[in-house]
Amino acid sequence: MLKKTILLLGVFSLGVALSGFAGQKYSHQEYFEHYEGTKTCLQCHEDEAKSFFHSQHYQWKAAAPNVVDSHGKELGKINMVNDFCTNPVPNWIEKTLNDKGKVLELGCSKCHAGRGMLPSSEMSQQQLENIDCLICHAHGYRRDLYKNEAGEFEWKPILWKNPEGMDSVAKRITKPTKVMCLRCHAGSGGGPNFKRGDIEYYLSEADYDFDIHMDVDGNDMNCIDCHAGADHKIPGPGADIAGNEMPEKRVLCDNEECHGNAPHEQALLNTHARRVFCTACHIPEFAKEDATNMKRDWSAGHYSEAKGKYTYTGTFEKNVTPAYHWWNGKDVNMQVAGEAVKTDAEGRIMVAVPVGSRQDPESRIFAFKKYEAVMPVLKDKRWILPIQTGDFYKTGDMDASVREATEEFYGIKDAQFDWMPTIHYMGLFHEVTPAYSALRCLDCHGPDTRLDWKALGYDKDPLGAILMAASH
Amino acid sequence: MHRNRWFIALLIFGILGIGFADTAMAKRKKKKGPDGRALYKEYCKPCHMADSDNGEYTPMSYIQDQWTRFFDEQYEETHKDVLDPNHDNKPVTEAISDDQLQSIRDFAINAAADSEHPMTCG
Ligand code: HEC
Ligand code: HEC
Ligand code: HEC
Ligand code: HEC
Ligand code: HEC
Ligand code: HEC
Ligand code: HEC
Repeated sequence: MLKKTILLLGVFSLGVALSGFAGQKYSHQEYFEHYEGTKTCLQCHEDEAKSFFHSQHYQWKAAAPNVVDSHGKELGKINMVNDFCTNPVPNWIEKTLNDKGKVLELGCSKCHAGRGMLPSSEMSQQQLENIDCLICHAHGYRRDLYKNEAGEFEWKPILWKNPEGMDSVAKRITKPTKVMCLRCHAGSGGGPNFKRGDIEYYLSEADYDFDIHMDVDGNDMNCIDCHAGADHKIPGPGADIAGNEMPEKRVLCDNEECHGNAPHEQALLNTHARRVFCTACHIPEFAKEDATNMKRDWSAGHYSEAKGKYTYTGTFEKNVTPAYHWWNGKDVNMQVAGEAVKTDAEGRIMVAVPVGSRQDPESRIFAFKKYEAVMPVLKDKRWILPIQTGDFYKTGDMDASVREATEEFYGIKDAQFDWMPTIHYMGLFHEVTPAYSALRCLDCHGPDTRLDWKALGYDKDPLGAILMAASH
Repeated sequence: MHRNRWFIALLIFGILGIGFADTAMAKRKKKKGPDGRALYKEYCKPCHMADSDNGEYTPMSYIQDQWTRFFDEQYEETHKDVLDPNHDNKPVTEAISDDQLQSIRDFAINAAADSEHPMTCG
């Protein structure tokens, strides 16, 4: 802090001397003259850089107390294999172009808040300088992949050749706004809204009908109003992100500081809320602007003329009705890499399946996006395998792409594999709509129900049962 | 039981707010961009491609403030004496109408280096 103050005084007097304090346009207008990469920020914010270095957002893994059988391991994207883009390590940073020069992939580091190095567990000056603070803190920041002097790819601001523009952007520092979080979260899974379904870029301009929390003309909440953390830990991993760096802090609608557990005047709605979680009634549909990926069959690769690349066979849907599933709000069955696959009753690998049941009083029915894929699995050991997606998009040679990624990730040469279906439930917590559009009685009870009562553990619709009894 | 009977039954139950969720959202209008992109391509790009002697300029070369300054203060001065070989050798400022320039300006500012865009893979 002392260091910060002294430096600040220095910078201030410089600023005053140079500009006579004209036009304090941005928060960091007077804090530095030229942005020279992260080291500029480190002059005053070394503590924050260190906290960010340890965060899940930098390490891409964290303690995973809610993953069944995680055995105290730290888990995350970096050491797991999911059924979207598989694993980032073999796909970290690269520029895959097709013959016409169109960019097919830039690597998973695109959504890492670093400038291109893989996160290391050892903190060093190099690692601290690798952090890209601007991606979460600067308005109007954009970056792209460029070669550095050593001929290696590196993420750099697109304004790196325009010092006036660069300095302007680097001084527009605030706490992260929703646009900054959406830079990564809206594009996960490889395209607009592909992965989450309820975190789409349209949230940056949403109206009240679209999202009653983040609507720009009304509540205009930012992501961090709900995901309010500290020291660069961000709480609220939902139902399918393995790491949970702030398990002590739950982010849920019925938290006392938010709505509590009896927000309705109608008692019946409040009694419902004991078994039916808020999202089940208040998020009637998702993917309201951009279609979301519902199925992805990596075994059925084909060439797409429109995209100019080989690709998986995918199903995309808009205005999707959620799937409903019990969840105890904590525990999740997830597939850990390097362990034999665990399957559900239908033989699908459980990439993420919430733990919960009607019998468990802690469980409630939540709204989910139900996603299914087909993934490569190692013969004999039955491990789920990654894919070198960039190579596959370019060449269409899936065998080579799986083998190469497997060698890089597991160190296994010439992997023999077959294909298996996966199941992946993803909690829906965003795009909450106004009260008038919350589900009504007949959406769940009666002949046109959206619930599969049997699958949820009921003999029949409980209201139907009461009505039957009453009419006899 | 038929749907009607469900309704009646629920009415008898005296429960308000029956029926189905009103999810028919107000249709959101997509902003239709002006044809600024095409105009930029036709009128600006030929002189400002990579390796051009006049300097490479795409909308992403400048931040919004710089584009505003360019159109407000520089364009007239720096382009009035430049003849455009693709448009009858007229001076650039005459080859492009005011309306067209406005669209080009909107496009450049919308796509400027500090305009917000989500990141996706390719
Ligand atoms: C000369 C010292 C100095 C430098 C260099 C500096 N900052 Fe700061 N920064 C501060 C001080 C002092 C504050 C707290 C006072 C304030 O809120 O303005 C601050 C506040 C912040 C905040 C909190 C903003 C908020 O609205 O709460 C963030 C985020 C931040 N800085 C990021 C950065 C980044 C990123 C860089 C590099 C581009 C940077 N800073 C460079 C001194 C500096
Ligand atoms: C540079 C890309 C990027 C940005 C910017 C970003 N995220 Fe993330 N975020 C990720 C990735 C990747 C993960 C998954 C990490 C893992 O595998 O554990 C993640 C995980 C999360 C999680 C769940 C895990 C956790 O850390 O608790 C939450 C919640 C989250 N992000 C919210 C936010 C918010 C809020 C913002 C804006 C302040 C934000 N993110 C900005 C990439 C990003
Ligand atoms: C993934 C997004 C993300 C990245 C990248 C990031 N931050 Fe932050 N930063 C946040 C969030 C969210 C907060 C507010 C909550 C908190 O303190 O954790 C924050 C808060 C801050 C604050 C204010 C702390 C306070 O107590 O008010 C400073 C200063 C800061 N960051 C500096 C930095 C610096 C310097 C870097 C780069 C080394 C950086 N941040 C990288 C997300 C990010
Ligand atoms: C109104 C509160 C609220 C706001 C605003 C909000 N979230 Fe969330 N978010 C939640 C809740 C609740 C969860 C579930 C947390 C849990 O169960 O751990 C969640 C979960 C998540 C997750 C975990 C994965 C998932 O979808 O389940 C990510 C990532 C995330 N939010 C990102 C964001 C981003 C990015 C923004 C801003 C665009 C945002 N959130 C805004 C409430 C909010
Ligand atoms: C069984 C479906 C259902 C569940 C579960 C449910 N709600 Fe509601 N909620 C509704 C309906 C329907 C309305 C509209 C009531 C009306 O217009 O009279 C509503 C209205 C609201 C309102 C507006 C309050 C008002 O009086 O206008 C809030 C806030 C709210 N719900 C929050 C929640 C939260 C938080 C939870 C979880 C604890 C939850 N709801 C669970 C159906 C539900
Ligand atoms: C999101 C779907 C959903 C909506 C909407 C919904 N219910 Fe239910 N309802 C349920 C579920 C699930 C149960 C079973 C809860 C349990 O196991 O205790 C239930 C149970 C009931 C019961 C039986 C309670 C008991 O103690 O056995 C009644 C009566 C009922 N609902 C009436 C209504 C009425 C009236 C409305 C409209 C105001 C409504 N429900 C809206 C899902 C819903
Ligand atoms: C016929 C060729 C030609 C056309 C057409 C043309 N320019 Fe230029 N442009 C030039 C020349 C010549 C310069 C001055 C180069 C120098 O002096 O360094 C220039 C300079 C610029 C500059 C640098 C700033 C300045 O004022 O010197 C920008 C920005 C620019 N042009 C943008 C545009 C835009 C936008 C358009 C379309 C509306 C456009 N140009 C159309 C030839 C052209």
